Amino acid sequence: MVVVMSERASDAQVQNVIAKLMEMGFDVHRSTGALRTVLGAVGGTRQADTALIEVLDGVQEVHRITEPYKLAGRTFKPDNTVITIGELRIGADEVIVMAGPCSAESEPQVEASAAAVKRAGAKVLRGGAFKPRSSPYSFQGLGEEGLRLLKAAADRHNLKLITEVMDISQLDLIERYADILQVGARNMQNFTLLRELGKSRMPVMLKRGISATIEEWLLSAEYILAGGNMNVMLCERGIRTFESYTRNTLDISAIPVVKQLSHLPVIVDPSHGTGRRDKVAPMARAAVAAGADGLIIEVHCDPDHALSDGAQSMFPQQFDRLMAELRIIAPAIGRSICLEPVARRGWGV
Amino acid sequence: MLDEHLVRLLNARAACALEVGRLKREQGIPIYQPAREEEVLKNVQTLNTGPLDQAAIKRLFERIIDEARHLERIADEVELNEQQKMKE
Repeated sequence: MVVVMSERASDAQVQNVIAKLMEMGFDVHRSTGALRTVLGAVGGTRQADTALIEVLDGVQEVHRITEPYKLAGRTFKPDNTVITIGELRIGADEVIVMAGPCSAESEPQVEASAAAVKRAGAKVLRGGAFKPRSSPYSFQGLGEEGLRLLKAAADRHNLKLITEVMDISQLDLIERYADILQVGARNMQNFTLLRELGKSRMPVMLKRGISATIEEWLLSAEYILAGGNMNVMLCERGIRTFESYTRNTLDISAIPVVKQLSHLPVIVDPSHGTGRRDKVAPMARAAVAAGADGLIIEVHCDPDHALSDGAQSMFPQQFDRLMAELRIIAPAIGRSICLEPVARRGWGV
Repeated sequence: MLDEHLVRLLNARAACALEVGRLKREQGIPIYQPAREEEVLKNVQTLNTGPLDQAAIKRLFERIIDEARHLERIADEVELNEQQKMKE
């Protein structure tokens, strides 16, 4: 770290800071300028808390040079992480699309939605069985019955299944059905849950907290990685800002930032990101253009009668159109998307 | 030629610092001795006759002292490790 002393700092104050830095295991490079002294602290072995230095007398500012996360950072692993689930590779050239209803409601609804997203080119079925809702009076999900319906539909259509785990107590049950475990935005800093997921070897998609900075998000990923589970992908799903027109503000700029800081795949959720069906496609296109490794999109066979998130769920026809657009955008930045021909359109098999 | 001379002198100084470090360790005195460092910096500025100004001499010697502290710390670590090995 670099410690900038204030102009009025006394020799004794500078000496006190040097002593403290040395106590923390740093080598100190002192540089006395005409007005102020700057101390460079290098070579520390453990994670240093800059606040310990910031509070010392005579210190004006402290700058950290290294990131507080290690395993999630590019310094630790320069190459992109590719998560392999059967034939599916997340984080490689192909942009992976996960789609499906917000929650499993009934067998026909799950089946119709799964069939629709498969036809359009999705590789993963999304769907909730345990729903964390803002209101306790809203539909809370079907529980294990929902998992069973989702898994059956995913298997029928050769899709992988991603579903949310809200609590440690659900983990064993959900692991029996899911291929990817989703940690919701509200649970991003549920460190007990994250630690437990670190012990699992199942891929985890960690959503960004509603008000989380990118650094906090990567530190949460670090909890899972530190437990030994290296199959972590990150999901940008919009953050809370002063703008109320959209449900959240989808942070497109987080994609290139995280891709630079971290080797983990980045998935984007334009459905929660905007909360409005008509804004999902433009943001999905932007996300792919910005370098997202995947998308997770809510598609419902009958959004107008959905039990949750109907307003942000796409109609299957809208999703078809979006996928066709993404097939044009992805190659423009050297990516592919849904390589195989789609049967319904008669392009092949 | 001058640089060669400088390198030799810097290393001779570093060897002294290591010896002082060893004595500090034996006596249980911390490596960082701010009063002594101030004394060194004042002393070299008194000796300075230019054309380098006092601030420049001070900056150069700050770096020399930084490296001496680093050497002493490394030596301390090595000693500590050996002591631990002996115990085991």
